[in-house]
Amino acid sequence: MQISVPLKAFHKIWLLGIRVFALVAASYLGLSALAVAAEKESYNDRYCTTCHGTDGRGNEGIEAPRLAGMEEWYLRRQLENFRAGIRGYHPMDTAGIAMRPMAKLTDESITDIVDWVGGWDYEPTEITIEGNAQTGESLYGVCATCHGIDAKGNAAIGAPSLAGQNDWYLATQLINFIAGHRGRHEDDVYGQQMAAMVDTLTDESDVRDVVAYINSLEPR
Amino acid sequence: MVKSVSRREFLNLLGATGGTAAALRAGTALNLLPASASAAALDLLNLGSNRRKIAILGGGISGLTVAYELNKQGYDCTVLEASHRCGGRVLTLRHGDLIDEIGNRQYCEFDDEPHMYFNAGAARIPSTHRNLLSYCKKLNVELEVFINENKTSFVQDDNMLGGKPIRNIDYTTNMRGFMAELMAKAMSNEALDAPFTESEGETLLGMIRSFGDLSEDYLYTGSFRAGYAKGGFLKHGVQKDMIAFRDLLKSRLGRQVMGANEGDTGPILMQPVGGMDRIIAGFLHHVGDQVKYRAMVTSVQVTDNGVNVAYDQDGVRHNLSADYCFNCIPTHLMVGIEHNFPSDYVKAMKYVRRGEAYKAAFQAKRRFWEDMDAYGGISWSNTKSRQLWYPTHGIHKAKGILLGAYDYGGGMYHTVMSQDERIESHIADHEKIHPNFRELVEKPVTIGWHRMNHMLGCSARWSRNFGQGWSHEEESLYHTLQAPVNGRHFFIGDQISMHSAWQESAVMSAQWALNHMDAQVRVELA
Repeated sequence: MQISVPLKAFHKIWLLGIRVFALVAASYLGLSALAVAAEKESYNDRYCTTCHGTDGRGNEGIEAPRLAGMEEWYLRRQLENFRAGIRGYHPMDTAGIAMRPMAKLTDESITDIVDWVGGWDYEPTEITIEGNAQTGESLYGVCATCHGIDAKGNAAIGAPSLAGQNDWYLATQLINFIAGHRGRHEDDVYGQQMAAMVDTLTDESDVRDVVAYINSLEPR
Repeated sequence: MVKSVSRREFLNLLGATGGTAAALRAGTALNLLPASASAAALDLLNLGSNRRKIAILGGGISGLTVAYELNKQGYDCTVLEASHRCGGRVLTLRHGDLIDEIGNRQYCEFDDEPHMYFNAGAARIPSTHRNLLSYCKKLNVELEVFINENKTSFVQDDNMLGGKPIRNIDYTTNMRGFMAELMAKAMSNEALDAPFTESEGETLLGMIRSFGDLSEDYLYTGSFRAGYAKGGFLKHGVQKDMIAFRDLLKSRLGRQVMGANEGDTGPILMQPVGGMDRIIAGFLHHVGDQVKYRAMVTSVQVTDNGVNVAYDQDGVRHNLSADYCFNCIPTHLMVGIEHNFPSDYVKAMKYVRRGEAYKAAFQAKRRFWEDMDAYGGISWSNTKSRQLWYPTHGIHKAKGILLGAYDYGGGMYHTVMSQDERIESHIADHEKIHPNFRELVEKPVTIGWHRMNHMLGCSARWSRNFGQGWSHEEESLYHTLQAPVNGRHFFIGDQISMHSAWQESAVMSAQWALNHMDAQVRVELA
C-alpha cells in the first residue's frame, strides 16, 4: 500500500484546505449577509394593530374585530384557517378576504403573534347595534349550548367567547354563517358545526336581537 | 323655434365643439376667467420667546407641510411616523427599498442608478398646483416636464381591429376627423346655425374644419397629422389609410385617450428630477430631526388646553403632550385608535371609504419603446392593467422603469391576487401591445395600496354616488371632520379635501388648518 500514504497525506491537506476555504467563505458570506441585512430596511409580522386598533380593541372603520381578550387557541385557529384559505374563501366575505393575505405567516410568526396578542387586556366595547334583548335571550338558548349561558365560550368544544366582542362583528359573522359565506369549507370542522346551528335565526332582525342580548352580558 | 344664445351657452357650445382649449381662449377674450395668481403665502405669526408644542401624527406631505411651516415660526414640533419612512403615498421605489405591503412584502431589485426609480404613488404635478409647486421652489426640488400624453404610444383593445395595437396618433387623428365631420354637418342644421351671426358661423366652421383636418367640402378623408405611411422627408409623404369610424367605435378607450390632456392632467405636468420623494427629502432637510420613525400612535386625547398623544416605539409606550395636534392618520385607521373625539366626528371618520388604487412596475432590460419613436407617455389598453407608462426620465440610457399597471378605481382586481398572478397578468396584458414584453422586462414590483402597512388604503373616498357628486350629508360630514376638535386637534391630509389623491390637496388642507390655528394663537398671545 505504498501509494496510500501520499494519498492520505494529500487527502489530509485537501481536507484542511477545504476547511480553511469553508471558514473563509463562511466568514465572508456571513459578513456580507450581515451587511445586506444592515442595508435593507427590516420588518416584523407584528402588524395586527394597524387594522385591529390600539391594543387590539377592534376597528369598525376597517371591519377589523377586537382581538384583545380573544382566547389564544381561537386566535391561533383563525390565523391558521385564514392562512389555509379555510376562512375568507367566499367572495361575499369581503372582510375575510381582506384578512387572508395578512395571515401569510410562518408557524413561528403565528406563535409570536398569539403570545403577543394574547397578552392584551380587554377593554369595554362600544354598543353600535340596537335590538330586542328579550327576544334575543330566547334566541340565544341554542347558542348557549356551546358558547355557554354567560357567552364566555367553551374551549373544550372549540366555541369562543362572544360576550364583549364588537357587536357589528358578531352580526357580520352570524350573517356570514347564515348566508354560507363562512363555515362551508370542507376542512373547517368548527365552522361547519357553527353553520349547522344558525337555522334558528331567520332574518337580520333575529341577528340584531341576539347580538343585543350578548351586548347585555358581562364581558369578562 | 329659434332662441338667442346667451354668452354662457355660447361658451358651452364652443366647449362642446372645440374642446377645452377653444373654450378657454374664448373665455379669456370675454374676460370671464379669473386672472392667474401665484400661491397665497402663509402669514403665520412668529412665536418669538413664546413656547408652543405641536404633535404631528403622520409624516406624509400634509404633516411635513405643518412641521416645516411651524418650525420656521419657532414652534416645537414632533412628527410621529408609524412606518420606517416618511412620505405616505409619496413613495419612490429604488434599489433595495422595502415595499411594506402586508402579505406581499418585497424588496425592490431595480438596478442601482439615479434614473432607475418608480413613483409608486404620487407621480404627476400639474402646473396649476401652485401651493405644492411653491414648496418645490422653496425646497430646491428640481423639476422636469412629465410626458403624459404621447401620440406615438399605443391604443389596444381586443374589440377593435382584431386586437391589433394602433398608435395614439392614428386613433386620435381619425377620431377627431370623424367627429369634426359630424359637427360640420350639424352646423348646416338651421336651428343650430341660426343663433350665430354669419361671421360667427364662419369662424366656428373654420375651427371645426381645422379641429378635424377636413377637406374643403367638410369631409374627413384622412390626414397627414397621423404621420406618413412612407416618405415625408426626402420624398413626399404618403398619407396613411383612414381607419373606419365604425372600427374605432368598437373600443370605449376614447374616454381615456381623448381626455388624457383634460381636467387634472390638462395643465403641463411635472415631476421632480430623481423621484417624487425629493419633495419629502426637501422637507426632511429642514425638519428631519423632529421625526420619530416606527412610532405608532395608540391614543389621542383632546383636553381643554391641548392634546395628549400616546405612541408605541421600540416596544415602549410613550406620552407626548402638545398644545395643538395635526393628524393625517387615515380616518379608517384612526377609528381603531383610542380617542375621545365627539360622536359626530367619529361618525364622519367611519363614513370615509378606503381607496383601492393599484400600481405595478417593471425594469426594462432596454428602452425598447424609444426604438419605436415613443419617448414617455402612456399606452392605453382595455386590459385590467389598463396603462403602460414609458418613463420620461433617463432618455437614451440603457434601461428604464416602466409603469406596468395603474388602476385607480378598481385596483382590487389585482390586489387580491398573489404576487406571481399579478405579474403574469400584467405581462400577458402588455404582450398584446409589445409581443415580446416578457423577454424585455425583469424585476417587477407591485403595490396594492389597500394593503400597504400603516395606510391600508389609497386616497379617501367621500362620495358614494360616483359620478353624481357629493350628497349634502357627505358635505356636512366633511365639514365636521375639517373643523378642529376643541380648537386643538386638526385632521389634515388629502383626506380632508374635496379632491383627494393629489399632493396639492394635502398641502392645502394643512395650510387651512395652520391658518385656523394661527388665528387662535394670535388671540392667545394678544
